[in-house]
Amino acid sequence: MPDTKQEHGDSHGVRDKFIESAIKGKILANQCTNCGQYMLETVYFCEKCGKNSFKSVELDGIGTVVTYTILSVAPEGFEDAGSYAWVVFKLSDKPIRASGFLSNIATSADLPLGSKVMVTGYDEKHGLLLKKSD
Amino acid sequence: MTNKVCVLGAGSTRYGKLNESIIELALNASRDAILSAGISPKDIGAGYISNVFGAADKQVHIAPVIMSNLGIPYVPGLTIESACGSGSVMLREAFANVYAGFYDCVLAVGVEKITHTGTTQSTTLFSYCSDFFYEGGNGASFPGLFASIARAYLSTYKATEEDLAYVAVKNHENGILNPKAHVRRKITIDEVMNSPVVASPLKLYDCCPFSDGASALILCSEKFAKSIGRPYMEIIGSGRGASPAAIQGRADITTIPSTVNAAKEAYKMAGVTPSDIDFAEVHDCFTIAEIIDTEDLGFFEKGKAASRTREGDTKLSGRIPINPSGGLKAKGHPIGATGVGQVVEVFEQFTGKAGQRTVKDAEIALTHNFGATGASAAVHIFKKVK
Repeated sequence: MPDTKQEHGDSHGVRDKFIESAIKGKILANQCTNCGQYMLETVYFCEKCGKNSFKSVELDGIGTVVTYTILSVAPEGFEDAGSYAWVVFKLSDKPIRASGFLSNIATSADLPLGSKVMVTGYDEKHGLLLKKSD
Repeated sequence: MTNKVCVLGAGSTRYGKLNESIIELALNASRDAILSAGISPKDIGAGYISNVFGAADKQVHIAPVIMSNLGIPYVPGLTIESACGSGSVMLREAFANVYAGFYDCVLAVGVEKITHTGTTQSTTLFSYCSDFFYEGGNGASFPGLFASIARAYLSTYKATEEDLAYVAVKNHENGILNPKAHVRRKITIDEVMNSPVVASPLKLYDCCPFSDGASALILCSEKFAKSIGRPYMEIIGSGRGASPAAIQGRADITTIPSTVNAAKEAYKMAGVTPSDIDFAEVHDCFTIAEIIDTEDLGFFEKGKAASRTREGDTKLSGRIPINPSGGLKAKGHPIGATGVGQVVEVFEQFTGKAGQRTVKDAEIALTHNFGATGASAAVHIFKKVK
């Protein structure tokens, strides 16, 4: 008998779980139960010790800007996004970095390095959505 | 028992917007490499091909098509993809097979055909080379990714956008001397600084062009090279490295771990240090990349490459000439061919075919080429054989 769980359309990947958390303003991470290392949910084996025994943790999607760019020439799918930044940020709670889409950024004065940002959701068109946070 | 591996022949098409098909480009470069080596296709034991976007020109599985049209349909071929670093990563595999003794003589050819898709589609295709879930899918173009690296570097080391412009101006000066370069036009610092912003802080003239083109090499054992009696050079070092695919995964965004590790391996194998290198062809897809490369390869201390470039150390007449060919910035960047084309430049330098861009008295040279934002990289070191 075929394993019905493996049939097309019935699978649920780790990326879907990451997106579900992002929609709630969270970043889904794993903590290695062997060495305590934190990493994003999408990594299958611990980067530090190589084990794959994890505790899943939902972290607050709040962090500080590590670096970013403001796209003047937008890639396909982002032409209607206006002036936006692609941002790498470090989570405030844990030593994890993530990246996302931040709208309404026109100049570097709008986003000094170290600014606070927070995850506000996820959409298929623009990915992980961020906003500036005070 | 391993073989010394030599480069016996080299050929390249012009880089630029070209009308030939992807297969014709690969065949033209391969033919020139075979003739340059003074061998027959029948001497070739295997073919190694680097390419990324064959589907854009309606041809994947291109290795057998190339081998068949070289008149050697029963010689096995293999296509290798590693984004913009495909050429050097493929070269490593070709090198390894001759080094290990599987073949006496192989063809290594890199090719890309992309400009016919137009800027928007090309930009989109390139974004698939990123860790798309975290980068391209969140709005980062390739210029955007390197712009993020640039912002981190400029902030950390107090360098300026004008420092970056010196890379562009220098590589355009070299490109003028290369008849096969995509862009053969002098530019000024003011032109770079006043060019349109693509992704801040990078401007149009901080970016390499989309290019079509192909480059090819004949690699062989030393014994085989000596039996032919033509000029050749030896590959004395080969290294590979890797980095987290997404730049968010890197503890320090101002260095590229794959470059550092590939260089360490290559230097160790060659038994040389950065101070022994007479010139280098490095991966300058964007001006910031050349600045970081020259530090990661050990030519300059961390944080010093911008000022050393401004002072002229990397010019053709400088202490360590970087990208005498014009680099990706001016020679062009047909991504499957780029890493191979760098070796073609070294071969031309060492066999007296580099004309006005010849680096005087050069005997040891290095090539460095990476994929995407440096997720994959390879470094090779060559010695002139007198």
